[in-house]
Formats: sequence, C-alpha cells, structure tokens
Amino acid sequence: MVLKNNPNPRTDMNDGAVHITDLVKTYTDDRGRPTFTAVKKINLEINNGEFMVLVGPSGCGKTTTLRMVAGLEKITSGSISIGDRVVNDLEPKDRGIAMVFQNYALYPHMSIFNNMAFGLQLAKKKKDFITETVSRTSKALGLDHMLERKPQALSGGQRQRVALGRAIVRNPQVFLFDEPLSNLDAKMRVQMRSEISRLHGQLGNTMIYVTHDQVEAMTMGDRICVMKDGLIMQVADPLTLYRQPENLFVAGFIGSPPMNLLKGKVEKGDGGLIFKEAADENAVNIPLKGPVEALAAKVVGKPVVFGVRPEHLTEESKNGSTAPVSSTIDIAEPMGSESLVYMKAGTGNLIARIHGEALYHMGQPITVYVNLDKVALFDAETESVIR
Amino acid sequence: MHNQRLLIKQVIAHLVLIASCALILIPFAMVVLASFRKGNFPPSTLWLNLDQWTLDHWKYVLGIPFREVLNATTGETKMVSPTVAPLHWFLNSLVVSSIASFGIILLSGSAAYAFARLKFRFRNQILTGLLVLQMFPQILTLTAYYRILNYVGERIPWLGLNTFAGLILIYLSGISINIWMIKGYFDTISPSMEDSARIDGASRFQAFTRILLPMSAPIFAVVFILSFISMISEYPTASVVLQESSNRTLAVGAYSLLDEHEKLWGHFSALAVLSGVPITIMFLLCQRFIIGGLTSGGAKE
Repeated sequence: MVLKNNPNPRTDMNDGAVHITDLVKTYTDDRGRPTFTAVKKINLEINNGEFMVLVGPSGCGKTTTLRMVAGLEKITSGSISIGDRVVNDLEPKDRGIAMVFQNYALYPHMSIFNNMAFGLQLAKKKKDFITETVSRTSKALGLDHMLERKPQALSGGQRQRVALGRAIVRNPQVFLFDEPLSNLDAKMRVQMRSEISRLHGQLGNTMIYVTHDQVEAMTMGDRICVMKDGLIMQVADPLTLYRQPENLFVAGFIGSPPMNLLKGKVEKGDGGLIFKEAADENAVNIPLKGPVEALAAKVVGKPVVFGVRPEHLTEESKNGSTAPVSSTIDIAEPMGSESLVYMKAGTGNLIARIHGEALYHMGQPITVYVNLDKVALFDAETESVIR
Repeated sequence: MHNQRLLIKQVIAHLVLIASCALILIPFAMVVLASFRKGNFPPSTLWLNLDQWTLDHWKYVLGIPFREVLNATTGETKMVSPTVAPLHWFLNSLVVSSIASFGIILLSGSAAYAFARLKFRFRNQILTGLLVLQMFPQILTLTAYYRILNYVGERIPWLGLNTFAGLILIYLSGISINIWMIKGYFDTISPSMEDSARIDGASRFQAFTRILLPMSAPIFAVVFILSFISMISEYPTASVVLQESSNRTLAVGAYSLLDEHEKLWGHFSALAVLSGVPITIMFLLCQRFIIGGLTSGGAKE
C-alpha cells in the first residue's frame, strides 16, 4: 500500500511542525460584541510527524483550536505557524492542511470520485494526475469499486474512509481530525481507530486529532493535550499523563475507571503522617509512608486530595510501602479477568481493580492495600499536584 | 368478523378519497366542457349532447378563424377573423412569470444565504421584519405601486406603467416568504459542507455555487414553481399596471372576456384551461429536482 502522493522526500523536516502561540478565540454576536472566550491564550508545540490528540469535555475549546489551525475560524489574538510560515491570515487551502469532519461532510450530489477529486479540480490539476491520484488513494482505502456511487449508497465506515481519502489526495503537511469516529458504531470505531493509526505510520505526516473520548486519546496519540475551559491542563505522552497527572482534572479525566480522589487532610499521627478523609461517615484513614511522606510533610493541616488508581489497590500486601484500607463493598462488577469493586468511602467511592478469582458481594467487608509508591497528592485549592 | 370490519374501513377510506378527488375534478371538468360547448354558457354541466360540441372557443383562443353562429333559428353566421389577442396574453404571462420567477430565485437565494450563513448587525430583526411585512396583503399597497410606477415611468419609460418591467419589479418585491423558505432549507445543511469545500480550496462564492446551491435544488424548484403559478394567475396587480389590451397577462385578459354586457363564458373557459398548460409543463420540468434524499448521505448529524 503506497499512499504518498509526493514521490520526492520532504526536504525540510520541519514542514509539518505546528506552533501555537498565545492563541485566543473570543466569539462575538451579530453586532460584533464579545460573547464567549473559547480558547484562552494557549501555547502548544506540535512536532513534525507527531500524532497530537486534543482531548477534553465538550466546550473545552479543542474543536475551536483545531478550526483555527484549519483557517475556518478567525484568530482573535496570538499566532499559529505551520512549518516556518505564520498562517494566521492564510486561506485554508494555502495552509497545507486537510481536515476530516465529524459528520464526514461529503458532498452528497457528487460521486465518490468527484468528492475526492474536488480539491484537485479546484486547484486546476491535470486530469491524468487527478485520475491517477484518486484511483491510487481509493485503492489503498478499499474504495476503488465504488467510485461512481453517491455518498448516500455507502455505509458510515465507508463514508468516513472517503473523507479520509479526500484528505489524503490533498497531500497535506498536517492532517486535522475533528472527532472523526464519534458518528460510527462501537465496532466500526475500533476498526477505524487502528486504520487511522496505521495511516499515520505509513504517511508520517503531522496529525492533530480532536476527541472527547479519552480511550481514543490514549490509544492513538503520540502525545495528548488535555484541555478544559479553554485552557491546556497538561501535554504529555499517554503513559506520563496516566502516571503523573499534573492536576485533579487530568487525574479524573484520564483512565477508565478514573483515578480515585479522596478529599481530606494530612495530619500528624502516632506512627507518622496520616491522610484523614474529611467525612463523618465511612471516612478512610491512610498512613503515609515511603516517597509520599516527604510530599505530605509540605502540606500538613492543609486540605488536600489523595489520588490513587484502581489498579494500585490490591488484595494482598505486596513488597514496598503499602497501607491497608478497610471498608465495605458498595457494588462489585465482575468482568471475568478482573473485578471492579466499589468500596464505601467518605467523599465518594473508592474503586479497586482486583483479580477476578472470587465473587464479591454488596455489604461484604473488605481490606485492600494501597500501593503508596503510586499515589499522588493534590492541593485542594489550586488543584495541582504536590511535588 | 375481522375481515368484515377491515372491508368496511377500506370502503369508507375509498369513499373519502373519491369524494375529495371529485371535489377537485368536477369543477375542472365543468370548465373543460364549457370550453367545448356551443354558445357562451357558464360552466354548469357535466354532460354535453353530441350536437352541443364545438371547437369555436378553442379556435378563438388559438387565433384560428371560425364561423360564429349569430342566430340559431335563422342560421345567420359571421366569419370571425383571426385574433391574436389571447395568444398574446398567453405569451405575455409566460414571459413575465418566467423572468420574475428567475429573478425571485436569484434575489431570495442570495438574501437567504446571507441570513443563513453571514453575521451582521440586525440580522434577526430584519428577518422578523420581513415576515411581519409579508403579513399585509400586497393588494393594500396597490395604489402606492401605481403612483410609484407612474412616477418612475415619467423618468425611465421602460420601467413605468404599462410595461412588463414595471410589473416584474413589483413581483420581485414580494419575496420575504421565499427568503424564509430558502433560509430554512439552508439551515438544515451542515455548515461543515462549506467548511470542507473551503479546505478543498473553494472560495466562499464557489462553496455557495458548487456545494450549497446544487444541494438546495429541491427548495429552489419549489420556490420557482410556486412563484410561477402565483404569477400566471395573479390578477389585481397585473390589472392595475397593464392597461392596454395588447399587453395584458392571461389572468387579466381572461377576465376581460367576462364583460358586464357580454359574458363570453366559452372563450373564458378555453383560456382558463389553456393557462393550466404552462403550469403543468413547468411542474413536470421541475419535478425531477424535487426528489427526497438529495442532501442525505453527505453528513451525519
């Protein structure tokens, strides 16, 4: 499968690097009065050839950012450059980008061939070149036998593949994806996910991918940029993001089930520092030992949030620093290979991902061991991690 | 038992359908028969005896000479020389309605695009204002139109009273409903279509003409047909603006056959049937655009 349109290797290795500097987007009403700031002065460096995922809840500004890179949305202030060029005032077609939309946005009155060829036709390319490019791309995507059909006659997955093909024939430096899989059914979504990842491997282009689905973000991204309310919360590779969240939002957003977050205080106890949950009922107390003790020493008496991933609550005490937590089971979800056990805690549930050997029941008492090497403490006021 | 009730239901349903068809078809049949009936009788019968048939009315309408019976008992007849007036009216109507319909599509289409896609001050207020204005019958403004055209005609003769251009100008002023209809259709088309076209390198105008317009063909066909029909049969404005016999439109001309002293019902009926022909042809031409599902499949909402 050969998808490269340009037989010449790229001369400048930074062609596809995207620099976003102090980017702001404020929407205005019909009169031009500012109504809502969707993107608040963000800075982001995307390397050439990188698969960057922008992820966050709806309204976080991720799509707006992508549309500004595409040139579909005017920039309020700040700058975007692709390669070495500042593209703020360039038309979308001159930016070296191609975009795949959430709703495919195929032209319903045109055949698949014309859908894919439209951009090349507008660019007044030679007919032979257009036919050659479209047929090569459609073959690679398995669409070559349906070029004469209209989009209406295609399934959802095929339509999204046409949209991909339309982006590929433009031979862009940067691919932009705006939640391309959210209209597909679950099975198709998984399949297209790996197809896009494979495409990235083959083409080696920079890709910016917007999604609200953290699983998509984790599985596809070289790096992930987590956004919330128009601000960037953290930019990191998937594992760093998972293991070392910089703030409460990232800790709660990434991972399924998310990180357990318990509100409370660090207090001095008999044997050292103890995390005491701030609750009247079912309050959990966790003695702090190991590396976390040094961190906790900085915030004695202050309100903090104690975070631990479900898989770091185990049934047996392992080597290293662990601390026992006893509670009763609220809900248990056996999934075969493992069980998710929701334990009662004072400020929420404490979810443990433990092996699936035994069945657990509601109301049953349980003791699990917290792996203290893998926990995080967050400042409850600033919401950022303590280190 | 069950079958019996089903049968009764079907019989009732068919009776209702037949009745509503009859309600539409019977008056039409009466007019058609009146146009073939000897003498000038108002449409009143659903049956003609063999000796009552004649083509005289149609000959009159189509400008073919015929022998008119002046007195049935004495057998006195008169050769009626060909008159082209009805055909003229017919052509006048065709010209006025076609040009005005195209104009309406151009104006309301571009206005609707602005209302649907562009941001500008007072957009919603203007849109509502258009709707409110349309609620007043156009006939109320007839005197004003008369005065305006009179005034304009003194300075620009080809745009004044008694000109087709003047009449078309008035027809082009009543398009707010069309703007609303087309805007409503544009609103159902995802803006990502044009976004996608712009990324493909289309200018705003190209995105409009090559993506949005073809996708909106059904609504334009509907607007065209509705305007065409309403203008073929429009009487009040045309009767005020066009006052010379030669440049009457079909509706005005047909009504002039029903003079206070001599009501030529037969001629009138033939002309009425004839006026249905261009409407039917136009409908058949536009029908292929009004197919469902033209916009489906491009975007998934």
